[in-house]
Parts: sequence; structure tokens; C-alpha cells
Amino acid sequence: MNAFATQLVVLAGNTLRELVRSKLLYNLLIFAVLLIASSMFVAQLTIGQWDRIILDMGLAATQIVGMLISILIGVGLVAGEIDRRTIYPTLARPLSRGTFLLGRYAGLLLVLALNVLVMMGVLGLVLHMAGYGISQTALQAMLLIFIELAVLSAAAIFFGSFTTPMLAAAFSLSLFLIGHLLGDLQAFGKRSHSEAAKLATSAAYRILPDLGLLDLKAQAASNLPVASHAVWTGALYGLSYAAVLLTLAVIVFRKRDLK
Amino acid sequence: MRLQAERVAATIVTMQRNAAALAGIAALVALVAATGFVRQAAEEARPPAVELAIDVPPFPPAVARPFSFGLRSLVADLTFLEAIQVFGARKSNITLAEGLHEDRLLAKLLTYSTDLDPKFRGAYRFAGDALPRHTTDGMEGGIFAAETLLKRGAVERADDWQIHFLLGFIESYYLEKREEAAVQFAAAARLEGAPAYLAMLATRVAAHAGDLAFAGQLAQTMLAQSSEESTRAEWQNRLLDIAMERGARDLDAAVVRFRAQTGRLPERLDALVSSGIIPAIPAEPHGGSYFIDALGAVHSTHGERLQIRNKAQNQAGVIPQ
Repeated sequence: MNAFATQLVVLAGNTLRELVRSKLLYNLLIFAVLLIASSMFVAQLTIGQWDRIILDMGLAATQIVGMLISILIGVGLVAGEIDRRTIYPTLARPLSRGTFLLGRYAGLLLVLALNVLVMMGVLGLVLHMAGYGISQTALQAMLLIFIELAVLSAAAIFFGSFTTPMLAAAFSLSLFLIGHLLGDLQAFGKRSHSEAAKLATSAAYRILPDLGLLDLKAQAASNLPVASHAVWTGALYGLSYAAVLLTLAVIVFRKRDLK
Repeated sequence: MRLQAERVAATIVTMQRNAAALAGIAALVALVAATGFVRQAAEEARPPAVELAIDVPPFPPAVARPFSFGLRSLVADLTFLEAIQVFGARKSNITLAEGLHEDRLLAKLLTYSTDLDPKFRGAYRFAGDALPRHTTDGMEGGIFAAETLLKRGAVERADDWQIHFLLGFIESYYLEKREEAAVQFAAAARLEGAPAYLAMLATRVAAHAGDLAFAGQLAQTMLAQSSEESTRAEWQNRLLDIAMERGARDLDAAVVRFRAQTGRLPERLDALVSSGIIPAIPAEPHGGSYFIDALGAVHSTHGERLQIRNKAQNQAGVIPQ
């Protein structure tokens, strides 16, 4: 293992250990688990199709809580450390700024993966208690939720590399909201008679992440099969977008004056 | 002497601590009592609760869809749950006009749900079960709304045999669209999970729609399909109505024979038995009894006779606005 990989693994491990002690993480995780568990009771209000209500609530809880963890914790990993000036001892070591960012990101991804696994376990348990199994589409939806969280974490790291924690969180949250509006925004642009509106929506569609491509919750709730090709291309799109954001973050962070 | 003074001082300190602890406990008890008292006063002063009326969301599905930020399926669930609440609160033995508001609301909520999530199988099935309503004034409500939703469901969820079956049922039972119903039953029969008798039903429907025995078979099938308690009760009642109509039709035929033999109408139904035309007057399945009016028409003391034929004249569909 070369020096870069070793440093990356050490940093990711440290970040994981640090985050595992975070009260915010546990609060959010407990909230999600309670929400998923309560879906069993909400499902009893409906007639048939309990699995749909449980899946809808469970996948929504996984996505929303995962989004909050990605943004609130992701922003704190870089922007928060700069704000608190705790980044200096780390950067004083023989460690490049790029490695620092990527290590932090890898640690956050590990935490998110654990969270998604825990929530998937609870969701599977609740479904089992209601007499249902977890479908392949639900697993595909979970995978794409994790990829979406990877994009949002990369966005939080990117924004955190050049602005304050508060602004970075606001930008990341906006990216999440716009990312889910993008498909409709593009449709609006196509229907518009204004050339400027068409240009603006087309540019926004090309630049911003289309998180709708990573959303299989409705298909999972309706138990509709999804071609694995669609899942893998969506996942690849999300990962490549996250890679672009991380590269930008590294470039910006290397040039940033931390004094 | 000094030791004694220290002991006294220690005792005083202990007493002071105990006193402070006691004062703390007393303050806590007083606070709890005061909170209870204030709560009672607040409950008495509370203004009357405002009932939150269930209604469709104030913004159209076209707006709700993008602004649910990827959670449109969950929003569709919420309006579906509202529809179930409306259905649960709707009284069963009411006239068409009395239930019109609930009928419309139910249709609107289910349309909203399926607009948000066009693949919502449960909402289509529920529309087929819950929207059609037999009223106490001999009308049928919600038929057109159910047909509209189920037609859309049959396209969006072409893989669901129950949606095709429900659409076929509504088209044959209420609307007398025999050919269209046969197509739906045939489509349902081809799908995975469909019961074997559906293929037979598909072939029979074109030839026997409007027939009482056929209506009985359909109602029996609907009873077997329904999982919701009030819907099952409604279909059980419907089966009794059909049995009542069967008895009334037998008596109608006997009256025609009596008139052919005697040249007059019987004054009472007993005359049909005493003249040997029928062995006995059939039992009225609801527990009432049959009687004949001055024009020779047979009725039941239970209520209006079921009209299976010419149902198109009796429909009062509710089209979502």
C-alpha cells in the first residue's frame, strides 16, 4: 500500500471513530429507526398494501435522515474544522490537503453506509413482522439512496472547502431540493416560449445533479421491477458527479488561504 | 469542649441540609399541585376544538408532484389514507343526495393519489370497491368515477388482474357494457394470480349480462374479493337483495300464470298456493314478506326491489371535478 492509500485509510478510520461518538448522528439514527418502526402502526390505517406504506415511510426516513447526516456532518468535517481551527494540527503533519479532504469523505461514506445498512435492517424487520419480504426493487432503491447521499456528502465537502459551515449547509440543502426538481424544471423549459427560460433550464439541467435519476422509491413502493441497467447507470452517474465535486473541492481547498 | 462544639456545628449543618432538601421537596410538590390546578383551569378555559375537515390538498397534483422533492409516493399515501378515513366515516344507509359530498370527496382524493402516483395499485382497487354505492332511494352512485379511475388503472397497472376484474364488474353489473366487460375479464384471466373461473366468466358475460343468476355470481365473487369489513357487509346485503329479487320474479311469473288461468289478478299471494300454481310462497331472505299490489306487481315489505335490467336509467355517477 503506498503512502497516499495508507494516509487515506488512517484518515477515514479516524473520521469513522470520531463520528461514531457524535451525539447528532445517534439522534438522527434513533429518529429514523423510530419513524420506520412507527410505519407499522400507520400501515394499519390502510386497507391492504401495508407493505407500500411501510416501504414509503421507511425509504423516505432513510433518505431524509441520510440527507441530514450527509449535510450537517459533512459540512462540519471540513468547514467546521476550519471554523474551530482544529484543522491546523492535522495539516501540520506530512499530509496533503487533497488527501485530508478525501480521507474525511471516505470516513463519512463509511458512516453513511453503516446508517443505510442499519435502516435497511430495521425496514426489513418491520416488513417481516407485517408478513412481507424486502423486494429487489427496494434493495435497488436503498442502493441509489446511498449513492444520492454520496453526492450530497461530496457537495457538503465541496461547499465546506470555500465557505462557512452555515452557508455550506444551506448550499447543500438547496442542491438536494433543486436536484429533485430538475426533471420538472427541464419539462417546464421545454414547454416555455421564452428562449431565455429554455437556455436557463437547459444549463441548470446540465450543471446541477439530477437526483431524480437516483430515486426508485415510487417503484419500490409499487413493487415494480427495475432493469439492473437503469440502476447501474444511475449509480455510475451519481458516483461520477460526486467525483467531479470532490475534484473541485480538492482544487479549491489546495488554493485556500487558511490563515 | 471543642469536640462538642464541632459536633453541634455538624448537627446544625446536617439539619440545615435536611431542611433545604425538605424545602426542595415541598417546593416540588407545590409546583406539581399548581401545575395540575393550572392545567384544570386551562382545560376549562380552552375554546371548543376546531374539527379539521378532510379535503384534497389546496394545490393541484401537477404542483404537488415536483414540490414533494422525491417523496410523491408518500404524499400519494397520505391522500389515500384520507380517502380511507372518508370511506370509513360515510354512512351506508343514506340517499344519493345525503352522501354526495362524501362520494365526491372520495373520488377527488383517489384521483389525487393516482395523479401523484399513477402506479398506485391499492388506490385503483379501493376505488373499484369503495366508490360504487347502492343508495336507499334505489340509485347507484360513484359508478362513473370508479369506471374512470379503473380504466386508467387498467392502463397504468396492466399487470394487476384485480383492477381488470373490478373494471369488468362495473361495466357488466352497472353499465351493461357487455363486450367491454368481457374484454376486461379476459385480460384479468390471462394474468398471474387470477382465479381459474375468470376465463369462464369472460365467456359468459357477453351472453348473460343483466341476468339475475349472473349478477348473483358477480356479487358472490365481489364478496370473496373484498377484505374490508363494511364492503363485505354491503355485498352480503346485496346477495340478500338478489335472492329477494329472485323470489319476487318467481312470484311475478306465478301471477302471470294465475291471470292466464283465471282471467283476473290474485288479491293475495296465498291465492297462488291455493290454486296449485306454486307449492309455497318463497321466504323473503331479509326476514320480511312478499305482497301483491292492486296492479299485480309483487313487492317485499323489506323495501324496493332490485333492478338489474335497464340499470343505465338508474345510475348517478360522480365525476371528479
